[in-house]
Amino acid sequence: MAKPISGGSLREAELTGAAGVAWAAPAARSESPFVQGVRRLRRSTTALVGAVIVAVLLVVALFANVLAPYNPTDTDQTTTFASPSWEHPLGTDQLGRDMLSRVIHGTRISLIVGVSSVLLALFVGVPFGMIAGFYGGGVDRLIMRVMDLILAFPIYLLAIILMVMFTPTAGLLGTMKVTGAIAIVRIPIYARLVRGSVLSIKEKEYVEACRALGVRDPWILFRHVLPNCLAPIIVTTTLGIATSIIVEATLSFLGLGTQPPTPSWGWDLKANVAFIQANMWLSLFPGLAIFVTVLGFNLFGDGLRDALDPRLK
Amino acid sequence: MRTYILKRLIEIVPTILMITLVVFMMMRSIPGDPVVALLGDAYTEEDAVLVRQDYGLDKPVIFQYVIWLGKLVQGDWGTSILSGRPVLQDVLGRLPVTLELIVLSMGVALAIAIPAAIIGALRQNTWADYTATSIAMIGVSIPEFFIGVILLLIFSIGLGGWLPSSGWVYLPGTCPSIVCGASLWGNAQHVLMPALALGVGRAALLTRLLRASMLEVIRTEYVTTARAKGLSERPVVFKHALKNALIPTITVMGLQVGFLIGGAIVVETLFAMPGLGTFGIDAIIARDYQQVQGFALITAFAFVGMNLLVDLTYTFLDPRIRYA
Amino acid sequence: MRLRSIPWPTLLVAVLALALAVPPPADAQAPKKGGTFRVSYGNDIANLDFHTAPGYEMMWVAMNVGCGLIDITPDGKFVGDAAESWQVAPDGLMYTFKLHKNILFHDGTKVDAAAVKFSIDRLMDPATKSGMRAFYDSIHSTEVLDPHTLQIRMKQPYAFMLHMLAAYRTGLVIYSPTATQKYTVEDRKKGKPEAIPGCGPFRLVEWVKGTHLVMERFDKYFKPGRPYLDRIIIRTIKDPITEMAAFKAGEIDFIASFSPEHVDTLKAQTPNASIMTGKETTPMVAAMKVTVSKDGKPMSKERAPHPIFGDLRVRKAIGCYGIDRKEIVQIAFKGKATPWVAMAPPGTLESIDLNAKCPYDQAKAKALLAEAGYGPGGKPLTFEIMADTEKSVFNVIATVIKEQLARIGATANIRVLDKVSWMNTTLGDGPWDMYVEDLLSLLTIDSNGYLSNSTSTWSHPRHNDKKVDEYYARYARELDTAKRQAIGRELLEYMVDNMYWNNVTGSPFYMVAQPWVKGYTYNAEFEVDWETVWLDK
Repeated sequence: MAKPISGGSLREAELTGAAGVAWAAPAARSESPFVQGVRRLRRSTTALVGAVIVAVLLVVALFANVLAPYNPTDTDQTTTFASPSWEHPLGTDQLGRDMLSRVIHGTRISLIVGVSSVLLALFVGVPFGMIAGFYGGGVDRLIMRVMDLILAFPIYLLAIILMVMFTPTAGLLGTMKVTGAIAIVRIPIYARLVRGSVLSIKEKEYVEACRALGVRDPWILFRHVLPNCLAPIIVTTTLGIATSIIVEATLSFLGLGTQPPTPSWGWDLKANVAFIQANMWLSLFPGLAIFVTVLGFNLFGDGLRDALDPRLK
Repeated sequence: MRTYILKRLIEIVPTILMITLVVFMMMRSIPGDPVVALLGDAYTEEDAVLVRQDYGLDKPVIFQYVIWLGKLVQGDWGTSILSGRPVLQDVLGRLPVTLELIVLSMGVALAIAIPAAIIGALRQNTWADYTATSIAMIGVSIPEFFIGVILLLIFSIGLGGWLPSSGWVYLPGTCPSIVCGASLWGNAQHVLMPALALGVGRAALLTRLLRASMLEVIRTEYVTTARAKGLSERPVVFKHALKNALIPTITVMGLQVGFLIGGAIVVETLFAMPGLGTFGIDAIIARDYQQVQGFALITAFAFVGMNLLVDLTYTFLDPRIRYA
Repeated sequence: MRLRSIPWPTLLVAVLALALAVPPPADAQAPKKGGTFRVSYGNDIANLDFHTAPGYEMMWVAMNVGCGLIDITPDGKFVGDAAESWQVAPDGLMYTFKLHKNILFHDGTKVDAAAVKFSIDRLMDPATKSGMRAFYDSIHSTEVLDPHTLQIRMKQPYAFMLHMLAAYRTGLVIYSPTATQKYTVEDRKKGKPEAIPGCGPFRLVEWVKGTHLVMERFDKYFKPGRPYLDRIIIRTIKDPITEMAAFKAGEIDFIASFSPEHVDTLKAQTPNASIMTGKETTPMVAAMKVTVSKDGKPMSKERAPHPIFGDLRVRKAIGCYGIDRKEIVQIAFKGKATPWVAMAPPGTLESIDLNAKCPYDQAKAKALLAEAGYGPGGKPLTFEIMADTEKSVFNVIATVIKEQLARIGATANIRVLDKVSWMNTTLGDGPWDMYVEDLLSLLTIDSNGYLSNSTSTWSHPRHNDKKVDEYYARYARELDTAKRQAIGRELLEYMVDNMYWNNVTGSPFYMVAQPWVKGYTYNAEFEVDWETVWLDK
């Protein structure tokens, strides 16, 4: 029977989503839960649809330079606000930039921001969570206090203040600032996730045995603990990407996200929403792009969660 | 149990204070201060120095924080340097608006989630199930402000002003103004679109949770026995499954408050609502230190307080969780 | 729905409703008294201490709650406000104002010469920290001759004394001595009605920041029959889409400053709206920093030339010949602005068109850059353009400039930041190369002294050229119109020749009113008076 997560709360469950992914101990059977999960995944339609969408997006992002007919930052004052046509399938914006190219290149930025913010949170949060769970005591309390503090911050308050602190710029630096702001808020999620998992594993006899044999702690963490939390981490990451993309778009709406001329869906959406009456497609298509991307990741993440949690089926 | 509650209550105080301290520090590391905003186009260097002295902005930061804390303990939330208005008064005036928005958004989310979950649980893995879940999934994938813009387009601009596009009519009794015109109907008109925009996104998680919980309850022997006794399916589902499934759902809803506060900022900005969200973001951008502190305090309190409430509720409901 | 199935009471009601809905023929001539005037602002009011608060939103409230000595009409004539008549001595060193005898503050106390003296004195007092203090520099002293006559003695002649009193920022706003001494500056800032008894046509009822400001007719206003409106409610709607939706739905009657980018959309949505505009009175500048602090201390007296724009040749290459102003007007304003080179925009008094001095000439620009050591043979030219988020058009213009400068081999990177950060950087002598902004509206060339005197904090380029100060001083003191205009021309040409001030276009200003709003006289940002407004409803 799994030991209750000491000091934990419903928040743990909430953070990993819904009914929570089981903190399953390694199965005694020959087939690992991972393989079982993959099999279930392949049968799930939601995951399939999501995976297809995500794959398409990755392709678009990778080959944006090839796929986009124009340079997304090229302005052309003779064709501003053009309606969709053969030359410009999605029309042009106020500065004559081709919308289709902007949407295609925007994929790159959105995916970069979405993925890197979550990965950053992961690479910071997971080690902290492992250390906190494994060593316990004062270290645990300190780390969790800091995590609680970040968690207790309303996400947008933190992001807004951070963004205003590091005033937005265009280009790579600007993207990095947005990524950092979004990442900070997600770190505690991973820390808590991993810590919980570590706590449930720590007491196992074979861990004691390893230690007795002189196996070094980091190896134990890596070999035994990490595979256990892999499932919830993957699920949280996938869903986290979706959330990050929405947060980036929202920050842009408030004027604080990625700045032009970097092609960003959120910024294009915000800038063109005011022209929505006459040139509806200018904000509609970036909006649609956001929707499809987020939907893809959500579907995939949901499918993953279904597949990796035996209790739901 | 009582001591445990007390202990938790006392514990949240340092957390809230830490948040306000961090916000305090962060605000003061942003370039520009309220004096720049206060003097505006009348700014001169000489005046700026004098004004900073007047408001104690030239003192060391920790000093300023302690002063703020001292006033807070006496019930004084400070006065905005920019507008001269007492912060507490402004916060209290705006609280009902955001509160109503959040509560109604939750209502919208539930209104979508409950039918979807019931369909999903009853007709698991059928087309109806997939459709219901899909609708919820769509809602969570669109940014709230975009839903808001589309609603604006349809109901305010498109249908010639069916619903008002902005502003607010207060609920009777909540109006901070002399000029009120508070009315239930007016209020309903103004809050409908924002609540929809904010609530639709929350529905997906709730649907999922409710559905899963209901499925779990349905599978228990208790229900199977009831069925075996010959009771028809529907009363079984409604009476037992739903009731039991709602409990964890409600607790999860409490935790959603954090996301709702964030979403509220955006929705309030779009619909020009005089709530805490617009209050906060305006204050941050104008570097109005005092107002930002007030905003941070109340949101931190709401957030942390809500989490605590949920934790305590869960403890009551599930005695299997032991707390050291 | 078949006719037979409709119950007859419903039909009767429908017919009656139709009949009543047809409005009686409107009497378009005589103003109707009454009604609530709903105004929309695009930005919040900062605070309500008229003498010190920043921002047009506050100024327009001050113009209606407060009263001054005189006002100015769109064609530049002066009309009396609290002053019934006035005399200017031929040498320009003495102004005598005779006040109306029956003017009251909103709290019932009398408006007399003592109150006016009190107001002017406090504006001139450094302790008040009013941004208008600099305008009153030429005043030597004020004297109350009798309860209704005020005499102002000047240190030197000031050609724009009346302009300044009428419409520099709020113009002179008369404060009540009793109320000012009784209530604190915080009371005034937060809009406590008792602390702000103006002498204008409307009295302040309430201000809830971010929600609304309410004014009501002052029954004892000294002009008989005015104002017509019962009440004015000002709301802040920041998002142009929401603003347009509210306007279309008839929720607001008047938009006080509408985003020029969306005027076309508004026109399409509400074809019978009254859209008011005129010659631009605000300059849109792409300012370049001329000097930087030598010792690293902000606002230091020791200056060194800016590494890039310290060289006049580079300033001219980039600002004068390298920018296609017509293209900017096309893209950023859809043609609805004026390409403009001279420092004073087209709508400013005694403004001169100097566009011929800076034609768009890529060859000339490249040549100058080469001379200065940049270009294919020399070093690469890279710098940063700042654009703040107050208006989205700044970014658009910056992007177009970036594109245009690429054509002459210069690389410009755009940095977007919020207004307060922008102010902090520019006012604090921080590091910047170029920015795009539209600063303040200019009634006269003299009012620009505030922005470009070498000693002014707001002279962001920090050109430190005392000759500019001399020109301003001579311009302000010259009472003879012909001579003054000659000085003005010299000053404007000097500014262009040295590119201390790089005007790109005029910044258009729009006000929008519903068709039933009558009686409003458009006078750009300078005079926003709702005293004469009435609603034809």
